[in-house]
Amino acid sequence: MIIHVEDLHKKFGDNEVLKGINCDVEPQEVVCVIGPSGSGKSTFLRCLNMLEEITSGEVVIDGQSLTDTNTDINAVRTEIGMVFQQFNLFPHKSVMENIMLAPLKVRKLSVSAARDRALRLLDKVGLGDKADAYPAQLSGGQQQRVAIARALAMEPKMLLFDEPTSALDPELVGDVLSVMKQLALEGMTMVVVTHEMGFAREMGDRVLFMDGGVIVEEGKPDQIFDAPQHERTKAFLDKVL
Amino acid sequence: MIHTVTFDWLGVVDFIPILLVGLYYTLLVSVVGLLIGFVLGAIFGLGRISRNKIIYGASSVYVEVFRGVPILILAIWVFYALPLVLGFDIAPLVAGIISIGLNSGAYIAEVVRGAVQSVEKGQMEAGRSLGMSHHYTMQYVIWPQAFRRMIPPLGNQFIVSIKDTSVLSVILVPELVFQGRTIVATHYNALEIYTVVAVIYLIVTITLSKVLNITEKRLAHS
Repeated sequence: MIIHVEDLHKKFGDNEVLKGINCDVEPQEVVCVIGPSGSGKSTFLRCLNMLEEITSGEVVIDGQSLTDTNTDINAVRTEIGMVFQQFNLFPHKSVMENIMLAPLKVRKLSVSAARDRALRLLDKVGLGDKADAYPAQLSGGQQQRVAIARALAMEPKMLLFDEPTSALDPELVGDVLSVMKQLALEGMTMVVVTHEMGFAREMGDRVLFMDGGVIVEEGKPDQIFDAPQHERTKAFLDKVL
Repeated sequence: MIHTVTFDWLGVVDFIPILLVGLYYTLLVSVVGLLIGFVLGAIFGLGRISRNKIIYGASSVYVEVFRGVPILILAIWVFYALPLVLGFDIAPLVAGIISIGLNSGAYIAEVVRGAVQSVEKGQMEAGRSLGMSHHYTMQYVIWPQAFRRMIPPLGNQFIVSIKDTSVLSVILVPELVFQGRTIVATHYNALEIYTVVAVIYLIVTITLSKVLNITEKRLAHS
């Protein structure tokens, strides 16, 4: 497995947001995490690359334990791309510069190699003509696709998506989802926190339903969406489907 | 009974060369003092966002003390009291520059802190999630954005400091107000001279505002 999570707990002060999460993700697997807001699903995702400090338990990424003080977290993060709800593009840099920054500074790529890679990725997300634009000149959907290209430019082994379409106007969601589908089909390992039940059903190898800081139920999409076992899963799906 | 006062505006022209000497010292003290202030401000501003409690504490003490003490008293301390500690005299000009530097540094530290903290938290997270170190992310992502946001408040501080130099006449720095006062002492033309002094300040500060506006616009476009 490429991601191994064991008895993960996360507290903000006295507030325990994650109450013992156990989860393994295999290479090339697409895991969708669904659940009501406040269920801890984003916090769970953010623990996978230590954007949140882990209170207790263990997260092992590609054989490296994040809680081990000898682990170089920066090196581990180069293998974990992350796509944020708010895109978080660098507003003072052009699209190309956004994508090239980390490959240049962290992977120490040459400028020409970084540029080639950036252009190839922009084509892949359908924005080959936006290389010189600045983030503010792009729509939300375009910004999010640049953010995906930026994450891919590090050639990570896995991608984490934190509600990648929640900040988008409805008509812009489709373009982002189709890029994500393409990645899934190419065999990218993905953990996707999402409210897009259609995407979870179609692309998820596995769906986790979280509520109250625990994984209440998990299984194949058909199983979760068509035959949920747990009352809380049923109640949630009744509201969103 | 009403006094009739006559003003001699044309006579002021004779004193302009003396006032320009004052302007020279005003600008010298402002510019060098502010350069020191920028350095102190950058150091203590970053100290104020440090997670190290000692660095944070020391930076906070600096900011609170030098922001809180009136610059007039600060200048008197530096000019009269500091030599007693150091064992050698400090020239008025140097004491003036140090005073402006210490005072503006405290304000600039707060400008730096505010600008860095105003950059959205997601920017640091985006940089870190790409595997960049805290240092790289600060250097390439946070700092360039923060710097743009500092320009308007820094311009403001520049103007405040230029006017603050006027209190340095008490420690005999031959700046604009000092020169004006010297003229007035012998020619009794206070209103005329101080009006001209004010006009000179205005010319400098308005010019500076314009330059800053242009800089801000250029940066916004790049």
